[in-house]
Amino acid sequence: MAETGRVVVVGVSTHWGSELARTLGRNPDVTEVIGIDTSPPPVDLGATEFVEADIRNPVISRILPALEPDVVVHCGIVLYPDKDRPSRALHDINVIGTLQLLAACEKVTGLKALVVRGSAAIYGSAPGAPAFFTEDMARRLPLVTRFQRDVGELEGYFDNFARRHPEITCCMLRFGTEVGPGLDNPFIRYLSLPVVPTQLGFDPRLQLLHSVDATGALAAATINPVRGPVNVAPDGAISLSRLLRLSGRIAVGLPPGVAGIAFRRIGSMLGSGGMSEDGQILLRYGRGCDNRRLREEIGYELAFDSEGAARDFAAKRHGVSAIFPSPHPGSPVRSLGR
Amino acid sequence: MSEPGLEIEWAKTVQDTMDRVLRRVAGEYHEDEYGFDEEFAEAVFPLWEFLYRRWWRVEVEGVSNVPGHGRALLAANHSGAIFPFDAVMMGTAIQKEHPLPRWTRALVLNWAFDLPFVSYFMRRIGGVAANPANLTRLLGQDEPVMVFPEGAKGFGKPFSERYRVQRFGRGGFVEVALETGSPIVPVAVVGAEEIYPKLGESEILARLSGAPYVPITPLFPMLGPLGLLPLPSRWRIEFLEPIDLSGYGPGASEDRSLVFDLSEQIREMVQEALYRGLVKRGSAFL
Repeated sequence: MAETGRVVVVGVSTHWGSELARTLGRNPDVTEVIGIDTSPPPVDLGATEFVEADIRNPVISRILPALEPDVVVHCGIVLYPDKDRPSRALHDINVIGTLQLLAACEKVTGLKALVVRGSAAIYGSAPGAPAFFTEDMARRLPLVTRFQRDVGELEGYFDNFARRHPEITCCMLRFGTEVGPGLDNPFIRYLSLPVVPTQLGFDPRLQLLHSVDATGALAAATINPVRGPVNVAPDGAISLSRLLRLSGRIAVGLPPGVAGIAFRRIGSMLGSGGMSEDGQILLRYGRGCDNRRLREEIGYELAFDSEGAARDFAAKRHGVSAIFPSPHPGSPVRSLGR
Repeated sequence: MSEPGLEIEWAKTVQDTMDRVLRRVAGEYHEDEYGFDEEFAEAVFPLWEFLYRRWWRVEVEGVSNVPGHGRALLAANHSGAIFPFDAVMMGTAIQKEHPLPRWTRALVLNWAFDLPFVSYFMRRIGGVAANPANLTRLLGQDEPVMVFPEGAKGFGKPFSERYRVQRFGRGGFVEVALETGSPIVPVAVVGAEEIYPKLGESEILARLSGAPYVPITPLFPMLGPLGLLPLPSRWRIEFLEPIDLSGYGPGASEDRSLVFDLSEQIREMVQEALYRGLVKRGSAFL
């Protein structure tokens, strides 16, 4: 394995950007970590140097080459809206931002690798979909939501870039649904609702990526990037109903018609913004991704499978449920330690 | 006048059941990566057993042709119009009659996964969406898998077309079998055609419910949910000798003419076995 050298983390103020910078800071193969974002990171990143810049602004093509990176990691793709990343700006950040960043990468001399933190949304979810999507199955299902089309578009730019620059190892990581202690996203907020609405008669198979693995896989791909897309997904899958039982939540099935309206409202309440449609499709049909490339080619050993991540999530929530005991019949059973 | 031992036994059964229910409510059960839930499959199995033994009086021939371990592709004729009981009964036959019983997966028409309740019921008893990727993965994991190459053409054919094996699609199952080196066991199911004799289709109901088609049988939808009761026909399932494809080599799956030949050969074997089975079965209901 070659020495990694200077790593530029774009979107360092996001949860994964910060976590990645911290992980890389501990790695002796990495000589320097430089973070770029629009606002300084909320946590102390130690030796990481911070540069304030916006990837949507063409100025990035002057800043990036000056940093002389060996590896660029793009963590700035917004997989769900955030406090300072409203859903209105999603398209701008994801598509235009990536385009500007790729343009800036063209000007960098001696760039060895480009790693992008993308999304598994490119596979879509459908009733007859493969149980586990492999990397070559992207765009097999039509891209129906705005976010899916954005991901499709930015992967298109990325493929183009990778084709034009065979000397650069371009790696597209496709992330799925994440859970974990300390993580906050619309899906976790959804699971934390006092009564969790589901779609009556549907019980999707989900893969839950533990936040430890999300960071670990991102760091592993930065140190040892491979060409092309790689799914970052845990082993196995878990059905939504079992996940809710394990975490002691009460599910209420909403009949079709009501479900659509309710999910849109709940979506905006939980801060998923324009992405409640994505959530609704995922919570109807589910999705699974094959992780053989991640394990065999990048060589990352996952710490949690889907069930493990669900159990860890449920256990860490236990503190909250001790103060507000869930009326779910499964909760007292578990606390009695059966 | 009850024996004390019996009372303890009874109390134990109640406690075991309670324990199991509580455990399931708490989410403490196993699901595999496709969503197959063995405990759930075991819980509904008595119903299949009843249908198998009493309702349809299934006769089985050649069940030991299904390999007891390792990958195997079971290719059968398809019928049923409303619910794929043929797949369920094949699985039950292997569980009940095979010297090395095991759960068999079935590739299920995609639209079943778009129907509320049906979707997760199918998944829990071992149904997987029908596509080559899933078949390849399952066979790669050394599972026995049932496929119905006729697909919807066989499942939804009218009663007048019964026991006429329809076209076998593009032969995708043969391709996957060649790729994964899986033996193919042709299966002929006699009896499933009479359970829901499909006389016609209701376009209005199909449009209202969003289902691809809504069959009209003598009882359905006239009698409502009661019409979903399958007729008690007499069944006969024949598992034929497995076809070993391991001799064809790795590139064989790309040979279109070989794939079509094998697919047509299997179709004819199933068709002949159906005619034989119909004669052996005799009367459809008695």
